[in-house]
Amino acid sequence: MTSICLYFQVHQPYRIPEYTFFDIGYKSNYEDDEKNKYIINKVSDKCYLPANKKILQLIKEHQGKFKVAYSLSGTLIEQLEEHRPDVLESFIELSNTGCVEFLAETYYHSLSFLYSKNEFERQVEMHQKKIEKYFNQTPAVFRNTELIYNNELAAYVEKLGYNGIICEGVDRLLGDRSPNFLYQPASTNRIKCMLKNYRLSDDIAFRFSDKGWSEYPLTADKFASWIHKTAGNGDVVNLFMDYETFGEHQWESTGIFHFLHHLPEEIMRHPDFNFKTPSEVLSNYNAKGEYDAHELTSWADSERDLSAWRSNSMQHNALSILYDLEFTILCLNDKKILDQWAKLQTSDHFYYMCTKYWADGDVHKYFSPYDSPYEAYIYFMNVVSDLQDQIDKRIEFEFSTTKTASLEMA
Amino acid sequence: MNVLMLGWEFPPVMNGGLGIACHGLTQELKNMVNLTLIIPQADPTSACANMQLIGLNTHQVRLELKEMWTKRIQSKDVYHTEHMLFPYKDADEIIIKQIESSETFYSKPAKESHETSSVSFENLYGNDVYQKVHEFASHTCMVAEKQNFDIIHAHDWMTFPAAVMLKEKFNKPLVLHVHSLETDRNGITSKGGAYDIEQKSMQKADAIIPVSNYTGDKIKKLYFIPESKIFPVHNGIEKANTYRKHRRLNEKVVLFLGRITFQKGPDYYFEVAKKVINSFPNVRFVMAGTGDKMKEVIESGAYSKISHKFHFTGFLTRNQVQEMLASSDVYFMPSVSEPFGLSAIEAAQFGVPCVISKQSGVAEVLRSSLKADFWDIDKLSDHIISLLRYDIMKDEMVKNAFKDIESVNWKDSSNKIMQVYNQIINN
Repeated sequence: MTSICLYFQVHQPYRIPEYTFFDIGYKSNYEDDEKNKYIINKVSDKCYLPANKKILQLIKEHQGKFKVAYSLSGTLIEQLEEHRPDVLESFIELSNTGCVEFLAETYYHSLSFLYSKNEFERQVEMHQKKIEKYFNQTPAVFRNTELIYNNELAAYVEKLGYNGIICEGVDRLLGDRSPNFLYQPASTNRIKCMLKNYRLSDDIAFRFSDKGWSEYPLTADKFASWIHKTAGNGDVVNLFMDYETFGEHQWESTGIFHFLHHLPEEIMRHPDFNFKTPSEVLSNYNAKGEYDAHELTSWADSERDLSAWRSNSMQHNALSILYDLEFTILCLNDKKILDQWAKLQTSDHFYYMCTKYWADGDVHKYFSPYDSPYEAYIYFMNVVSDLQDQIDKRIEFEFSTTKTASLEMA
Repeated sequence: MNVLMLGWEFPPVMNGGLGIACHGLTQELKNMVNLTLIIPQADPTSACANMQLIGLNTHQVRLELKEMWTKRIQSKDVYHTEHMLFPYKDADEIIIKQIESSETFYSKPAKESHETSSVSFENLYGNDVYQKVHEFASHTCMVAEKQNFDIIHAHDWMTFPAAVMLKEKFNKPLVLHVHSLETDRNGITSKGGAYDIEQKSMQKADAIIPVSNYTGDKIKKLYFIPESKIFPVHNGIEKANTYRKHRRLNEKVVLFLGRITFQKGPDYYFEVAKKVINSFPNVRFVMAGTGDKMKEVIESGAYSKISHKFHFTGFLTRNQVQEMLASSDVYFMPSVSEPFGLSAIEAAQFGVPCVISKQSGVAEVLRSSLKADFWDIDKLSDHIISLLRYDIMKDEMVKNAFKDIESVNWKDSSNKIMQVYNQIINN
């Protein structure tokens, strides 16, 4: 038997407005409310609602044999709470079918594991509570932001109690081995890792509507035939992608929903293939060997490394300045400041600052709300300056009240 | 392939970017085609290898011209072209006199010496520019009779009437190279005069090469020329020996470089300076160049309030310009409409980060820069302050700008122009 494991990432950041030098000290809202609302509405209508409807229909039609997993970031759930409760409701409806698993991640879709284990744990816990609240299930499988991964993370997540972790199947680490098996992360005891089959995943996520692609147009039966070729040589084919693939990155007019509609029946036409959620996969199959990731990997760009968020000096600078604030902010114990700081950790902010392929005007530009990576850095840094300013004022205030109090006591 | 090119400015006789661009382009293009360039004024010391440079002011050419015109008028073989292109319809008859007299712009023979200062660009423009344009056209037609060419390639409106005449007379394909439009120089409501010459000529041209997509778009929208005839080719720049010069004072300098005219947006530069100076310490604004708007800025009431941080240099020599670039921290070009904007590329060569208006062609090439609409004082000010505040970003931008400008060279531009030539010849 070979299982297909579908996992969709669902995330939206809180985008920062064009926050100028002249706003520092005057404007304490760091969110581009208008743009965020516009985008959450657009993506909800083009992707989340129609895709959820389609998945629900498929689960019902296939009487529980079609299964999927989602990872919803905390920043997405918050924005749905505010603007699109109907979408949140449709996810709850999916959850109620019993065929949908929700994964664990950092609440703020952050790079916190790389900068502060303390903050990382705080966010994972926050996220868990949110998922429990809406979907009545406790996540058992972990996926880190953008599938950022290494041995250390796997071991850390094992210690937190997770059975499995999701990561990219990176060629240079796999060697000639197949991603279509479970592996045991190096230096762990129990946890298993599930590797993304990036070729098959990206056929859908990136190449589906590419008219220059030799396989264009991609039909469900053609794709299923590629899946079926793995028969006897793999336990699980992990198809992991952004949920926005359906209707947003690949527009409805490309036929992506039609493709999705026929995919389950075409795959299950072969009797040796079924769909399983990540937890089911983990309890059904054993690890085939060790997956040893000393270096940090991710699912981004062709490099599959961290260069999308940490390759130029602006990104390094912005990240280190942000995380330097952690101690002071925790000491202050101010809910609003903590929330503002945490939202600045969302990985998208650093992605917008990427200059790697900037000159070619590629995918990074497509996703950025700003004219250039430099502007992404400017607005972010201006916001951090204002946050620092707020913190300083609070400390001064606390200090003066403590002093008054102690004087009074004396 | 034989190309007959018509230019107006050519080093050392030049006023601005047009001469630099013409020179840079011909130096590459002459290796790809047989190139003849006709210009109003050539300096005898600036002969170019591998191309034929014909200055209508040179003694030899003038003698030939006189002879040809005399013959032509005697035989009544005078041809006319459209009135709009030729505002002086009875000019033919006075041409001989002009050649003989010393009043016209190229009638002053360049001295056969190495002293280039005797050749002044002043008399290429001025009040009687239309007459000069007309004279250039009729004389160029004469000179062209002795030339063998497959394509006519003309630079900017002053040479367009000549180019159209050549096309009509010799029936050769015409390429118009647009470095600047009347709508850039005088605003989008421009009508008559140079605008009409530009529009009528472009209608007759087989291909138009604007120096940017930005200008191509203007030609389409403000001159109503079909896009299928427009082939934008970015300018190139020659490699420069650059250096950085550190000032002793802990101050940052924001530089404006160019003619202080409406087109270059000096008012916006001033407004931005005011805003930045009032909210950011240790910054100076330097306006290098001269122009009709300078007086206006100085005499504005607001100037006196920031004059301690706002400086005019007046006209700068080439070396002084380089000195200025080497010691500036930000290059600021708020042009209202800039077909290309070579000076920003030059600043990038010197490692100076640029803040440029979106209404410029160079914005398409210099991606590693900060951009805003020329009228967006707030955003432009914020961009400048950001460059002054965030050294890490500044360094990153400068580093990436070096990569951006690698593709800004005349070889690539010439290759693209060759493609245009081939396309119109094969049509």
